[in-house]
Amino acid sequence: MWRRILGSRGVSKFRRDKFALVSLAVIVVYLGAAIAVALGAISRDETFARVGPNSLVGFFETPTVEQRIAYTDFYIDQVRTAGERGDDALRALDVYGLEPRFSEAEAALAVVEPLFERFEAVAIASEGDDGLDAAGLARLSEVEREARTLWVEPSGWQGTKRALSLQLGTDRQGRSILLRALYSIKVAAQIGLVAALFSVVIGTALGGAAAYFGGVVDHAIVWLYSTFSAIPYIVLLMVLASMFLGSPVENTLIPVYVAFCMTFWIGPCRVIRGEVMKLRELEYVQAATTLGFGRMRILLRHVLPNTLHLMFINFSLLFIGAIKAEVILSFLGLGVKDQPSWGVMIKEAGQEVIGGFFWQIGAATFFMFVLVLAFNVLSDALQDAFDPKHVG
Amino acid sequence: MQERTPILEVRNLSTSFRTDRGVVTAVDDVSFDLFRGETLGIVGESGCGKTVTSKSILRLLPEHLSFHSPESRVMFEGRNLAKLSERQMRSVRGDRIAMIFQEPMTSLNPVFKIGWQLDEALRYHTDLDRSARRRRAEEMLDLVEMPNAKERLDEYPHQLSGGMRQRVMIAMALCCEPDILIADEPTTALDVTIQAQILRLMENLKRELDTAIILITHDLGVVAQVADRVLVMYAGRVIEEGTVFDLFRAPRHPYTKALLDSIPRAGNRRRGQRLATIPGIVPNLFELPAGCRFQDRCLHVEERCRTEEPAHLAHGDETHPARCHFPLDHA
Amino acid sequence: MSSSQPLLELENVVKHFPVRGGILNRVVSRVHAVNGVTLSVARGETLGIVGESGCGKSTLGKCIVQLHRATSGAVRYEGTDLTQLGHGELMPFRRKLQMIFQDPYSSLNPRQTVGALLAEVIRFHSIVPRAEESLFIDELIQKVGLRPESRDKYPHEFSGGQRQRIGIARALAVKPDFLVADEPVSALDVSIQAQVLNLLMDLRDELGLTLIFISHDLKVVEHFCDRVAVLYLGHVVEELSSDELHATARHPYTRALLGANPINDPTERRELAVLEGDVPSPYDPPPGCPFTTRCPLVEDVCHTAMPPLVDHGGGARVACYAVDAPSEVRPAREAGASSAG
Repeated sequence: MWRRILGSRGVSKFRRDKFALVSLAVIVVYLGAAIAVALGAISRDETFARVGPNSLVGFFETPTVEQRIAYTDFYIDQVRTAGERGDDALRALDVYGLEPRFSEAEAALAVVEPLFERFEAVAIASEGDDGLDAAGLARLSEVEREARTLWVEPSGWQGTKRALSLQLGTDRQGRSILLRALYSIKVAAQIGLVAALFSVVIGTALGGAAAYFGGVVDHAIVWLYSTFSAIPYIVLLMVLASMFLGSPVENTLIPVYVAFCMTFWIGPCRVIRGEVMKLRELEYVQAATTLGFGRMRILLRHVLPNTLHLMFINFSLLFIGAIKAEVILSFLGLGVKDQPSWGVMIKEAGQEVIGGFFWQIGAATFFMFVLVLAFNVLSDALQDAFDPKHVG
Repeated sequence: MQERTPILEVRNLSTSFRTDRGVVTAVDDVSFDLFRGETLGIVGESGCGKTVTSKSILRLLPEHLSFHSPESRVMFEGRNLAKLSERQMRSVRGDRIAMIFQEPMTSLNPVFKIGWQLDEALRYHTDLDRSARRRRAEEMLDLVEMPNAKERLDEYPHQLSGGMRQRVMIAMALCCEPDILIADEPTTALDVTIQAQILRLMENLKRELDTAIILITHDLGVVAQVADRVLVMYAGRVIEEGTVFDLFRAPRHPYTKALLDSIPRAGNRRRGQRLATIPGIVPNLFELPAGCRFQDRCLHVEERCRTEEPAHLAHGDETHPARCHFPLDHA
Repeated sequence: MSSSQPLLELENVVKHFPVRGGILNRVVSRVHAVNGVTLSVARGETLGIVGESGCGKSTLGKCIVQLHRATSGAVRYEGTDLTQLGHGELMPFRRKLQMIFQDPYSSLNPRQTVGALLAEVIRFHSIVPRAEESLFIDELIQKVGLRPESRDKYPHEFSGGQRQRIGIARALAVKPDFLVADEPVSALDVSIQAQVLNLLMDLRDELGLTLIFISHDLKVVEHFCDRVAVLYLGHVVEELSSDELHATARHPYTRALLGANPINDPTERRELAVLEGDVPSPYDPPPGCPFTTRCPLVEDVCHTAMPPLVDHGGGARVACYAVDAPSEVRPAREAGASSAG
């Protein structure tokens, strides 16, 4: 079976398409990430945890003096505030693995206070009209370096994890953009998978039944989807999602799933209905009838299996559609709640963009863009390779 | 016929396609002449290359998927059509060489009236004014024996029957008085009584306009009825060529003979009498055998047929060559 | 032939298809596909049904195997009227009446191997015990002239002629007595047509099958069948033995069909008999005889009512006012023969 599939003409054509192979690899990486997240590589709590100063820039952007001062302020202030509260607070201080070098408040304050005064001086100087001169910058660098010595970098795996989590910077609450973007892959895959799967199953069942049984069944189903498709899609999504406001499942993904399934089944339903109408007139279906096979048997064994390729195409279209729609819903505040998603990230990035900080919106868009592009390239390639009209 | 110069000379025409499985040669080294006022039948089973031959002459095949061999020559009025630019080719197509297709349902554009579609061809290839073109279109429909020609000009293709659509196609093909008409299975999609109408029409037109016709068909009855000379094709090769009388009376290639024998003869019936068949199926063009392409199905196959492909030889009769080492002798 | 008890009798079978339209989806008109066909087929006989596209020959075939339920009339098989039976009661007859379809490409489920396809049929009807199933499938495959290894192949791996053989094997899997072959060779190349026709002839003789053979090709029908019924716009216009089809055909339409068929011999080239015009639309057939619009012998009476099928002896029946009455059959035969030339 597998050998036959891998040796078929479609597969060998597909294997020669370099873009398609790259896309496939990209999708496999995404899927791997989604599975890893689902298995606990990144917990939900981690995406809400502070990993560093607010609005930290990512790996290739050099921070401005203003930003450097803000970051240094964070590192000094954290230790200073905890120290003032006492030993316990200081010991409890943990910024995603980063811990203060001191375990006793007195010792800590002895180091921090003088440093803080020097820092204040630099900070005040930087707010002057001319900013910092060369000597001022040198002092800033020194304060920065010393501020970091207040902390002990974690070593080993935890160290790596922490270093990675800062690569794409942090949002306005000091949460890791990379961790949130990665966690969003799982959310996106989850929404795409559930929404597309249920929509295709519902659409296929209804479309198949409508076309095969005809008559009243057909009229009812066509009426249903005509009515649904007459309502603008976004409005329908919003209405369906807002139906759940205040219900116990409000903060889960269930409202999103319901909204998507109720809007998305129309596409596959239409397509499958058309295909089944064509298939049921084919002679092998008539042959099955003359052999005495019942209608359900014919529908399930002889008609629907031959719409499998349409189910696949619809699945991939809806998978991407759901991911994109999630962004819109979340942006409107009706989508994902209590966990990060690309839509939530884009929404939260709104304020940052005004302030000239693009790391969060950039990361969310880039992660989504790459996945959508890869999916589109792949589904085009699959269609080219496996469409019987092209195989010839 | 032999003294006249041919209007179309096809020499060593080979057409290949690029496919997923490599290059496949659908028409392999085909040569023939076409004379004014004659009907040349090209017969063969599906996949033998007869349609590709005709489309190669007019260069109607997708250029990114197909190509001619460098030796291919299609000489028409001193020009090699295989080497013309696409622009020059456009003035040949439709104007000098016209083509009609098998499927009259899909060869007319359903959203335009018949008159408009005829007018378009005339507008492109002639410099007649509007009313003259309208008159000419009406004349053409009269010529193809279309009932109520004038009213038909304002009808849409779906208002016509299959036979009438094929008449419109023929009218469109003939409106620039082409020298050559290529008819690709023109009656295959039609009922016999309608087929008879169209065949008679083509005969009359040939007589009146002195057009040369290439008639491509799988139906030997149609060939027997209207063709003057016949090419028989098999797996991309011409395997026999001759006048319709020679070919039907004394086929030289075993394939031609078998093909003729496999058709039930009208008015000559014995119940339960088995038909002569050709065993097996046409070879896959990707896996052609060495030697004669008909070897696996031939009743007279010998050792030489398996190793050496026969040449297209006259075997003593120049008007009736066959591509066979051991041509059937009817003497 | 007509003396033996018929296996299948059609009595005044009518099939109209409603054409729905308008916003209320009401029946706005009807397609008159089959208009009162009465025929009978004796056990072991092969009846050919000939006609042009749209004459209702396929619809008639489907009415016989109950793919379409006739609008009115009776389809009696061994005396039982199939049109009155429900799905369950039909089941035993489904095993006896089978159909072979025209299009070798759409008549097989592309997702079933040949073996799976045959096994499904055999199991559904419990044709043979499970233990003998495999052997029976091999036998079937071999009987229709396919290689044993075809069992594990999918339809797309076969050529048109081979697929048609698979279709025949499927019909034979239930061990039927009666086959309706709907244009079984029309989609095939000439050399393959002969192979499939020979196979059908062999199977007919070996299994003692009774056949209805539907075709537009008079030459094939003449060769293959014992009797021929000519259909025009849903009416049987002539029924006759195929032995002397050319000599005894009386109806002007049958004669036109014979005359329009090109002969495979250029030395016998002749002016093809040309019928003017087209077949009238089955939505709106003309009153009286449907052939009036094209008939060379049309008389006033033809426009008033469909002529009855008149028995001309020797199993021949003709529905035409212009054809001489049976008392003058003998001279008419010669007249018919001479006009064939």
